Amino acid sequence: MVRFKHRYLLCELVSDDPRSRLTLDDRVLGNLVRDTIARVHGTFGAAACSIGFAVRYLNVYTGIVLLRCRKEFYQLVWSALPFITYLENKGHRYPCFFNTVHVGGTIRTCQKFLIQYNRRQLLILLQNCSDEKREAIQKSVTRSCLLEEESGEELSDSGGEEATEVME
Amino acid sequence: MSNAKERKHAKKMRNQPTNVTLSSGFVADRSGKHYNGGGKPFQAQKQEPHSGTSRQRQIKMTPRSLAEPDTNEQSSSKLMFKKKGGWKAGPDGTSQEIPKYITAATFAQARAAEISAMLKAVTQKSSNSLVFQTLPRHMRRRAMSHNVKRLPRRLQEMAQKEAEKAVHQKKEHSKNKCHKARRCHINRTQEFNRRQKKNIWLETHIWHAKRFHMVKRWGYCLGERPTVKSHRACYRAMTNRCLLQDLSYYCCLELKGKEEEILKALSQLCSADAGLTFAAVHCLSGKRQGSLMLYRANKYPREMLGPATFIWKSEGTPGSTSENRQLWIWLHPTLKQDILEEIKTVCQCLEPVRSAVSIPSPPPTLSQEKSQTEMTDEKIGKKRKRKDDKEDPNPVKKIIGDGTRDARQPYSWMSANTGIIISDLSLEMNRFRLIGPLSHSILTDVLKAASVHTGEEDIEETPHHWWIGACRNAASVALHRRQEAIFELLGGITSPAEIPAGTILGLTVGDPRINLPQKRSKALSNPEKCQDNEQVRQLLLEGVPVECAHSFIWNPVICESVTENKISDQDLNRMRSELLVPGSQLVLGPRESRIPVLLIQQPGRVTGEDRLGWGSGWDVILPKGWGMAFWIPFIYRGARVGGLKEALVHSQYKRAPSIPGDFPDCPAGVLFAEEQAKNLLEKYKRRPPAKRPNYIKLGTVAPFWCPWEQLTQEWESRVCAQGKPSVDSSPSGEESNLRRQESPKAPAPSAKAGTAVDNPTEPEVMDTECQDQPGMKRVTDRGAPGNHAVLTRSQLCVLRSRKLLKQLSAWCEPCAKDRRAARWAPRQGQHELTGEACLALTDRFPRALVWVSLSLLRKGSPEPHTMICVPAEEDLLRLRQDRQYCGPQEPRHSDPFKSMIMKQKEKKKVEKRQNRGRAAPEGPAAGLPEARQEALTQGLWPGALPAVTTHCSRGLLGYVTQGDFSMAVGSGEALGFVSVTGLLHVLSSQPAAERGLVLLRPPASPQYRFARIAIEV
Repeated sequence: MVRFKHRYLLCELVSDDPRSRLTLDDRVLGNLVRDTIARVHGTFGAAACSIGFAVRYLNVYTGIVLLRCRKEFYQLVWSALPFITYLENKGHRYPCFFNTVHVGGTIRTCQKFLIQYNRRQLLILLQNCSDEKREAIQKSVTRSCLLEEESGEELSDSGGEEATEVME
Repeated sequence: MSNAKERKHAKKMRNQPTNVTLSSGFVADRSGKHYNGGGKPFQAQKQEPHSGTSRQRQIKMTPRSLAEPDTNEQSSSKLMFKKKGGWKAGPDGTSQEIPKYITAATFAQARAAEISAMLKAVTQKSSNSLVFQTLPRHMRRRAMSHNVKRLPRRLQEMAQKEAEKAVHQKKEHSKNKCHKARRCHINRTQEFNRRQKKNIWLETHIWHAKRFHMVKRWGYCLGERPTVKSHRACYRAMTNRCLLQDLSYYCCLELKGKEEEILKALSQLCSADAGLTFAAVHCLSGKRQGSLMLYRANKYPREMLGPATFIWKSEGTPGSTSENRQLWIWLHPTLKQDILEEIKTVCQCLEPVRSAVSIPSPPPTLSQEKSQTEMTDEKIGKKRKRKDDKEDPNPVKKIIGDGTRDARQPYSWMSANTGIIISDLSLEMNRFRLIGPLSHSILTDVLKAASVHTGEEDIEETPHHWWIGACRNAASVALHRRQEAIFELLGGITSPAEIPAGTILGLTVGDPRINLPQKRSKALSNPEKCQDNEQVRQLLLEGVPVECAHSFIWNPVICESVTENKISDQDLNRMRSELLVPGSQLVLGPRESRIPVLLIQQPGRVTGEDRLGWGSGWDVILPKGWGMAFWIPFIYRGARVGGLKEALVHSQYKRAPSIPGDFPDCPAGVLFAEEQAKNLLEKYKRRPPAKRPNYIKLGTVAPFWCPWEQLTQEWESRVCAQGKPSVDSSPSGEESNLRRQESPKAPAPSAKAGTAVDNPTEPEVMDTECQDQPGMKRVTDRGAPGNHAVLTRSQLCVLRSRKLLKQLSAWCEPCAKDRRAARWAPRQGQHELTGEACLALTDRFPRALVWVSLSLLRKGSPEPHTMICVPAEEDLLRLRQDRQYCGPQEPRHSDPFKSMIMKQKEKKKVEKRQNRGRAAPEGPAAGLPEARQEALTQGLWPGALPAVTTHCSRGLLGYVTQGDFSMAVGSGEALGFVSVTGLLHVLSSQPAAERGLVLLRPPASPQYRFARIAIEV
């Protein structure tokens, strides 16, 4: 069809230092990636990747990042990601690295993959963890699975339900 | 981003997950786009499907799960969560506790929240598409859109909901009857009658509606222009063939009474100064049609009411007494109300004619009130005139004539004093106009003089008793034969212009449907038929004899019977099909209808020098009900039909003023101009500012209307300021005469001008006892303060005095060297263009306009509202040096209002944003700046206009009212009005060889073009 085709890189930001999460937002992350591309691929690479480059989604707590770039040059972005070793922000440097989990053509496929991925993670966690935490984890796991069934059926109701929850 | 676009985007993104960051709590207000509302830890951000305003509102998913864990950090986050207004720890956010280790529970919760957010994004449909459109192509099935069962079962429920929504949006099916029922004759007639209650339909309406763009105008439904592309074809028809127009919407007023009474009453309305009056010899005998301008009683030359044409019923007809005369005045519908009132006043006809049925009338409605104020004073109980065929109780009957006429509203008035009866005969007759040289041949083809009834045996079966009665009278039979002979002669004349203008010919013809040709054909003239005839020559020389102008159409009883006894088309066709030899001539014998008609020659172009007689033709007046019966035969003979636009083109090429657009001094003209300005402004505003001309920058002050008042006022004050010292020069004898005639009416302007007023009491008799004495009376009976106010307000007038027009016309001519100069020598001799003569004229008419025609020297095609400007010295100089010189350009003006508009817009935007930020109750406050915004439109002058005459680099003289490329001349031509004062000023300052040169500039162009001004009398 007639559109610009993109590639979406679903990455996991892994950092030892939890303080790094504090000031992290999409702009910081975008600049970080851009700088790295410029460093690794030079001016051409930076220019080629700058078109259509964006951080579409960022979750600080899980460290999931969704990067968008044009289909023609996603290899450049992808190959630049391993060279990010430090998260630099406001004078602080926190060591970190990127772990590319998935490369997709649409946001939707990335989202679908992310669901599978997180579920797998939770199950692994459930198997490995100690007893006192098991309960809490179990709860969240079941909730996520329940929601999957629920969401298909009653979409409009969930809003009201949540509103009541907020009131509590 | 515009509001709608934003909303659309919001709708698309409402289910998408947003970024979750720690710092979003205080980032929110700064950027506010994707992460407003404090991002709580461990919360998926979700969107309520209903909420439109705060699309990114967070839905707390995990409060219960959060409340339970009892670790340190959990409690802190819980504490934060309790605060409703968002994350208060923002600025000192660094001080909050940061988890040092990854705890399994938080890790799991974060994952779970993310899963739920993603699930929502993936499963929910967020685009505008319908359910079945989201399916992949291989799963689509035919008829999915309306058959829910075709969809996969999981989607059926959603599709059901969508389908229900779509059904509600669909319109109700409006037609309550099936197609066949609607086409049924009775229902159709009923429907047609209902539809013509508001706007009158002409008899040819259905024919026109199928072929024309119809407009509702003046209370009628009229064809504006053909749907086919035919501008040029209609011009060719006018010039070489025949153009047909339905002018039945013209109103006819009938005056009956003694000749001297009628003349006395009507002479107040017109003046011999402006041309012929009702008393013109040829017209009075009934031989010719006359045309004149009507004014309010004794107010000439101010307070024009409008132009009219009139016909007197010829005298010398058998069976009519010479005392009782009949006069028809034909008017344009916009002028009817004013003129009818005025005629009723001057004839003192205030009493409605009573009829057999008398019903106390209800109070008049608002629309009638204006027309009947005088009447209600006189008489409270209005009588109803019975109208049989129009107000038929049976609604299925086809409406013939005026369908909107209120039964209670009288349409006939009489006066006890003068014995004059006025009746409103609007739509009682049809009037068709044939324009062009072939109109003769078409007329002679279509109309066949009725056969004289001789046989005595079958009187019983004919309904046309009036004709049998007429045939018994030898004199009327002889007259009929003469009329027939003259009508036959007409076929041999090449152009209607050869016959004296306004010739009237009465005729009684047979049913034109009977000899309808099988196919549409083109009538051709056969000049050899009777070209070298002595009779023809006599006809051309003398016109139709007076007695031949007689027609039975003047008799309303006969007209009624003719209308009622018309054989319907259906019957006629049935009879035709029953003929023994199919396709042969149908002979009805005595049952054939005889229709009295009146043929009136319309003079074409009578003014000016070139193309004299262009656009001449014949008007055919028929009794009502017979419109279509004549219309179709005309068309079958090759007449092309034109609408209102073609009528305008006709009058423009004829260089005649069109009604009502070219009468700025009559109320209908003012109304027309207002309406036109409104329409044009609306059209202008529909375009975006960048795609329309900025009239301020072009220096066009009034692009949509013509500020006549201001123009004349400015010229008056300008000339006054210049020519003050020379005012005292004594006017010529003739001028003083005129002034004296004027002085009782207009003491104020002459006093203001500072001239010596001649003594009005001097006993000098002009042609007018009726002009002088009522004038005096009016001055006395009007209050002194009101006097001045009325005069100053109504000072705008159009110069129509023939003498003065001739003088002006001579002055406008460039002093030529060729033979034309010799021809005009005597005329020019009478008055040289001197300051004195000018002054005398401007003194009398300080604020007058004059109708001029302009022909462009080289390029350019003017359009309405084009400005007529005074050329500067250097323009004339350059033209003299270079004959190819096109004309100067108007420098660009600055637009001081643009920045104001921009500022306002900016302010409005800011306010809007603030409003959106604040709560809903702030809404009404936003209405205020909008009201202010209304006043300014980009590219138009707001409020009062600046000085119009001096606004541009070339002084403004007047405006064009009609203008276009003229196919008749082959160059641009325009017609318009200029200020007399300004014109004289310009003429006297120009060198004699270049007198009459002006510049024209369309409103949307900076280019001036040279044109020559001419006043055609």
